[in-house]
Amino acid sequence: MLPTSLSLLVGLLALSIPVAAGLGVLALLLALLYSPLPLPLAMGEIAWSTGQDFLLVAIPMFIMLGEILLRSGVAERMYGAMVKWLSWLPGGLMHSNVGSCAIFAATSGSSVATAATVGTVALPNIRTQGYNERLFLGTLAAGGTLGILIPPSINLIIFAVLTDTSIPKLYLAGIIPGIGLALLFMVMVAIACTLRPKWGGTKVKVTWAERFAALPHLAPPLGIFLIVVGSIYAGLATPTEAAALGVIAALVLAAWHRRLSVAMLLEVFENTMRTTAMIMLIIIAAYFLNFVISAIGLTTLLTDAVSGLGLNKWTMLLVIIVFYLILGCFMETLSMMITTIPIIAPVMVALGFDPLWVGIVIVILIEAALITPPIGLNLYVVQSLRTSGSLNDVIFGVLPFVLAMLLMIALLAIFPGIALWLPNAFG
Amino acid sequence: MTRLIDRWIGLTDRISTWAVRFAGFLILLAALLVGYEVVVRKVFGITIGGADELSGYAFAIGTTWALSFTLLRRANVRVDALYARLPARVTAALDVLALFAMLLFISLLVWRGWYVLVDTLNFETRAPTPLATPLWMPQTLWLFGYALFLFTIVPLILRASAALIEGDLPKVRALAGARTLEEDAGLEVEQAHSLVKSSQPATATER
Repeated sequence: MLPTSLSLLVGLLALSIPVAAGLGVLALLLALLYSPLPLPLAMGEIAWSTGQDFLLVAIPMFIMLGEILLRSGVAERMYGAMVKWLSWLPGGLMHSNVGSCAIFAATSGSSVATAATVGTVALPNIRTQGYNERLFLGTLAAGGTLGILIPPSINLIIFAVLTDTSIPKLYLAGIIPGIGLALLFMVMVAIACTLRPKWGGTKVKVTWAERFAALPHLAPPLGIFLIVVGSIYAGLATPTEAAALGVIAALVLAAWHRRLSVAMLLEVFENTMRTTAMIMLIIIAAYFLNFVISAIGLTTLLTDAVSGLGLNKWTMLLVIIVFYLILGCFMETLSMMITTIPIIAPVMVALGFDPLWVGIVIVILIEAALITPPIGLNLYVVQSLRTSGSLNDVIFGVLPFVLAMLLMIALLAIFPGIALWLPNAFG
Repeated sequence: MTRLIDRWIGLTDRISTWAVRFAGFLILLAALLVGYEVVVRKVFGITIGGADELSGYAFAIGTTWALSFTLLRRANVRVDALYARLPARVTAALDVLALFAMLLFISLLVWRGWYVLVDTLNFETRAPTPLATPLWMPQTLWLFGYALFLFTIVPLILRASAALIEGDLPKVRALAGARTLEEDAGLEVEQAHSLVKSSQPATATER
């Protein structure tokens, strides 16, 4: 049963059947092959109950929040402010790139949008201020990935839903690793530019008066972050309710900057729902597949097979890191999460890892997948921002930051408190 | 014949565009309603109730109404690790196969979804909530989205199959090809560019 199922899965995906249909068809085949019960009959009920799950309503709302905010004109102003505050460090604007990405991530749940937005604003500075192009591109591609680690994050919601973990606790667990990873990125830049001062571009002189004058531009994104994440922890709102408040706040902000229009809203609607429908169809198919594979006993078989390997906790962690790094070369990240987490998370938890910790580590691995070739989407986003040069520049540029991600996972393994302290203290 | 099918596709495109906009509008309404309820509950201590239930329906309906648009924009994720390395004739065949797989999967959803609705009608099921919503109302709209998807994919399959047989590979690709990473990235960037250009110059570039 196990080899057949795995080869079917790999076969369907390799044929580039759309992931949702691939999972659905796989579930159908497995049900017909291995179960005397008419399992597909449950499909309608699964689709309806999943489709209207209030917890999942947070997904379209967070996507919509990001889409509105992108169009509200806050990103450019924020970048300008980050330049004034961070460009004195060795590596100059590259620190502003990482910082802007981190702050933008705190209002957006998407990595790709973060890289595209900050990248568009930042890129013209490479030539004019003489930066090392590769490293500069790397900060944008890698910084963008922070979008899925720092809350609100759509990927963390998906992890929570697939593993029955609390979204608020996962969000708390993501904060310190998210900030930590941003700092590690900046350390990488600082080290590189201390060793090779030429990479760091020309220095910008900024006075303290200018710095303080720029502070108000940081207020809108931080305000949204406080409304969304703050209302969850103050016990005022559930994640979905917080997302709704965030959408309203973003609308107000867009109206304030005179960006609100019918055309703009229609664009927001189209983009939000296109992404939502794509994600939800995969989630519904994955629910159906999980239903079938647990009904035919495949889940137990799989987890037994893995625990039968007799690996200890840390070997298993290494295996999983390597597994995700390799899988990330073939699969798009969302499909990768939805197909692997229902199997891998329980195995990790059974070995004694905290579910929240597992969630954070997996999301960092997903971030790495976003910037490792051949199919790291963020690499392509940053590459298409450029007018010349090859993709290899971006690929080399992100290398130090992939290293930083692995370092972050090592730190999390040694000090699990980095992720678990906040949720334990406030959860 | 193909002209008729092309007109059918054009029709589904217009319907899908309005359906997806309506879907987005539903989610916006849901956000306003849920947000309003939270504020009223926490600030004034009044519980209206029902916002979570209604937004759940909006979500279920919005998702299915957006499906046909997602199909037409080729936004359904496909793993192209192997696909990208195959000759054009093979990928065109895979594109058509992908449409058939979608048809199979959504047909299953429509078939079983139909029985969910039939059961609801037979037992006159209401939601176990204070609103006691008669469930046939949201479920009918929900199922309509899946049906719209079938109405959209049928002409796509006909047209793409015809193009495949004629050997018109670019046409197959335009109708059903997997979006490449470059295309995906290009979209994001185009969007970001138009947004930044339309705004005031950033302080960083002023200097």
